[in-house]
Amino acid sequence: MNIELNGSEQINTSPANLWESVIDPVVLQRAIPGCISMTETGKGQYQMTLELKVAAVGGSFEGAVSLSEMNPPDSCIITVSGSGTLGTGGGNATVAITEGDDGNALISYQAQGEVSGLVAGVGQRILMGVAKHLARQFFTALKKEFAAA
Amino acid sequence: MTEQKYKFLSTPRRPVEDRRFVAGRGKFIADLDRPNMLHVAPLASHYAAAVINGIDASAALAMPGVVDVITGAELAAAVQPLMNGLNTPNVRRFPLAVDRVRYAGEWVCAVVAESRALAEDALEKIIVDATPQPFILDAEAALLDTSAPVHPEHGSNLLLDRKFVWGPVDDDFDAAAHSLSFSVTWGRNSTVPIETFGVLAEWNGWDQMLDIWASIQMPKYADQIARSLDLPGNAIRVHYDVDVGGSYGVKRGIKHSVLVGYIARKLGCSVRLIEDRLENMRAGDAHGPERKFDITIAFDQDGTVRSMKMRALDNAGAYAGRAPFQLGKPISAIVGPYQINSVAYHALSVTTNKTVQEAVRGFGQAPTNYAIETAMDRVAEYLGMDRLALRQKNLIRKDQFPYLIPSGSYYDSGDYHAVVDKVLTAADYPAMLAERDRLRDAGMMAGIGIAACLEPSGGNSSFEPLLNQSNQTSTWMESCQVNIDALGKVTARIHTTSSGQGHETLVSTVLGEVMQIDPELIRITRPNSLESLPGNSPVGSRMAIMLGGAAARAGEKLKAKIMAIAAHRLGVAIDELRYEGGDVLANDGRRLAWDEMVELAHRQYHNLPDGMDPGLASFDIMQVPTGDALPVDDKVQMYPCYSFEFHLLLVSFDPIIGRPDIHSYFIGHDCGTVINPAIVSGMTYGGIAHGIGAALFEEFAYDTNGQLLTQSFLDYLMPSSHEVPAIQIVKHCTPSPHTVFGQKGSGESGYLGAPAAVSGAINDAVSGLGIHFEKLPIRMSAISDAIAAKTS
Repeated sequence: MNIELNGSEQINTSPANLWESVIDPVVLQRAIPGCISMTETGKGQYQMTLELKVAAVGGSFEGAVSLSEMNPPDSCIITVSGSGTLGTGGGNATVAITEGDDGNALISYQAQGEVSGLVAGVGQRILMGVAKHLARQFFTALKKEFAAA
Repeated sequence: MTEQKYKFLSTPRRPVEDRRFVAGRGKFIADLDRPNMLHVAPLASHYAAAVINGIDASAALAMPGVVDVITGAELAAAVQPLMNGLNTPNVRRFPLAVDRVRYAGEWVCAVVAESRALAEDALEKIIVDATPQPFILDAEAALLDTSAPVHPEHGSNLLLDRKFVWGPVDDDFDAAAHSLSFSVTWGRNSTVPIETFGVLAEWNGWDQMLDIWASIQMPKYADQIARSLDLPGNAIRVHYDVDVGGSYGVKRGIKHSVLVGYIARKLGCSVRLIEDRLENMRAGDAHGPERKFDITIAFDQDGTVRSMKMRALDNAGAYAGRAPFQLGKPISAIVGPYQINSVAYHALSVTTNKTVQEAVRGFGQAPTNYAIETAMDRVAEYLGMDRLALRQKNLIRKDQFPYLIPSGSYYDSGDYHAVVDKVLTAADYPAMLAERDRLRDAGMMAGIGIAACLEPSGGNSSFEPLLNQSNQTSTWMESCQVNIDALGKVTARIHTTSSGQGHETLVSTVLGEVMQIDPELIRITRPNSLESLPGNSPVGSRMAIMLGGAAARAGEKLKAKIMAIAAHRLGVAIDELRYEGGDVLANDGRRLAWDEMVELAHRQYHNLPDGMDPGLASFDIMQVPTGDALPVDDKVQMYPCYSFEFHLLLVSFDPIIGRPDIHSYFIGHDCGTVINPAIVSGMTYGGIAHGIGAALFEEFAYDTNGQLLTQSFLDYLMPSSHEVPAIQIVKHCTPSPHTVFGQKGSGESGYLGAPAAVSGAINDAVSGLGIHFEKLPIRMSAISDAIAAKTS
């Protein structure tokens, strides 16, 4: 099934700081829900392991993440693909960072993805909710990075 | 009537099997444990179509408790492809995907481990490198040259394309005053048993024997395993004393069985695979027909239906199997219960990237009945004629039997008008009409559903040679063995598994009737395939006719031997004797008791007639009545018996919510002589519930990526006691001239007409708005949306 997710979040840091964080595998590992490991395999290329639970099914997910059309610190495209026991998924997100009136960063994203396998069938009615929930968890964690700093 | 004629038949007797089931003492596949038994979990494809580049199972194999990982490549090198009913040698099917996957959920490889849980854990560690491919889901689209073939080696998606013309179709269309065309689609549903499929295989190398216990309902099951595994037929021993928790056609886990058979032999072990619900729904390969009908029908102003052109396109899913034959059985009742003079039939079956289709209750008859009954409703609507009167006008009359239909089958017997009249009386039809109108006046949508249809039963699988000329099958025999032991007790053997049909009750009742012995005293055993006579398992609504027939004939043979022994002993001619309650009475008043004759047969050879073998045992291998010829000129007598059913129901729903509420449901049912009333009624009640599911709820729905969305009972909706109303069965009995007691089939009853009747009721309810629902299931969302679109 296809998933679309759009939104924007304000983060209490400068666009430059935010940019550095979202391309830092250490920060990403802390912020991405269920992320067990995240290793850089090349410039803008990451390997990631997730442990997720959706509806009645749970399992691990091995994925590749790549950043392209990088335009620091304004925008990039994040492409994700991977598979696990839950199914196979892939998608991309266009991410743009702008500076708000208060000098803080405003990050907006437009993402579309496709999910196949068990999760597509079992979780279809809640998958959008799960996706939104995971996105919220991610940004909550990301904000925490800068609240602590 | 029958109550006078029979002592045990047609009397209210509790099915023998009920005792163990009610007490929870049935023996199902999950109840069987063998020492050191291993377990299997299959890995499901995420993609609707993909090429498999490689499978890395090394991490899985390294896990504790994991014994082996079997891939499709390994299996394809070691076993023969699974049986294919058609001449499509390049549509090859193995238990696991070989080189490419063809539907989401298809098994890619299988983990063998010390427990099912360990096997499932190991699935997570298997890495499949696959490249997604184009896929096709829609049957019409699959026919296009531009669509990717599901089996590239086959060259197209077309499995079957046969055109039949029976009778003067063109002349009848020319002569008819009117014609109309419409399309309807039967959604992909199935029987979804509570017990999923399971199989246990055990290889004993010292005996060179593969023992199989399975939740199976499949003709020639042992043969098919032997062929796939390249084993002699007598190296496969299928145990028939396994209870099967529901089937109605779909329990045909041949791929599961060949898989575990291979593993058992490779590892020299016992191994069991029981599907979980998701495996069952996605990859049990047990979806039913998904069929689009394009119909043109020719008729006169007075409502006489003259001729019909029907194109039926079936979406078989990813592999052929026997699914395309489900377009064949309906040929045996292609005009339903009506006098339609000629028919043109175009049967098409295509592969798509959906789950594989299997036989489902009625073997394609219920969808075709839905199409025919929709045609009757449309003709009535076109002419402004009453739907009931139109049917009564076209129904075959009692005095026309045996009635030859254009496609070559004689209908054996019936009194359709009498059954309809009985139902109208029982339902108080004028009051039902008044209630519909009262509901409408109160602001509800209300409609009456009417459907008449036939249940062809007990036949040869003559659709096989009809649709595949290289198939020369002209028998579909069934057998029974009977033995009277030295203490005088009767034991009969049957040679199949049972999935709730009550075969033990059937055989004990029939034998009891023939031998005039209390059926409670007759023991029925279900041995294994190597100790069995030939049979074809309970398919095609055949066991009352065929197993009941074989049991009765075996009983008659024993009775004849007993009479001969008695005649010799008493020194009189056989025609001076009469058999009475197990004893033999001579005209001169002398009586030879049962125990005395048992003693003679078992111990006193010197007192037996010259040349007679000792003991009291018999068997019968029965050929299908009327089914002795191959098709000629595209025509064949396919089934000996035709049961009739007539459905009448009242439905209402709120126009905004659209949730159908069935107020009352009547079915007139004539399946000839009934052997056990409780079993026949149970079949009919369940069949109607099943049909309500097909009409309103159940569908294997796919998303645009080829993912099955309805793969659990959260999404695949089944009717519950909330949706199934109280059902009143109105009984009628027109015996068949072709069977031992006049019995006909009833295993598909209810299901064959309920979807048509429920659809008719919904369509009647919205008829004032000019809405036609043309696809099953008719979901409440479809109803409320259609009404909103018309009224807003």
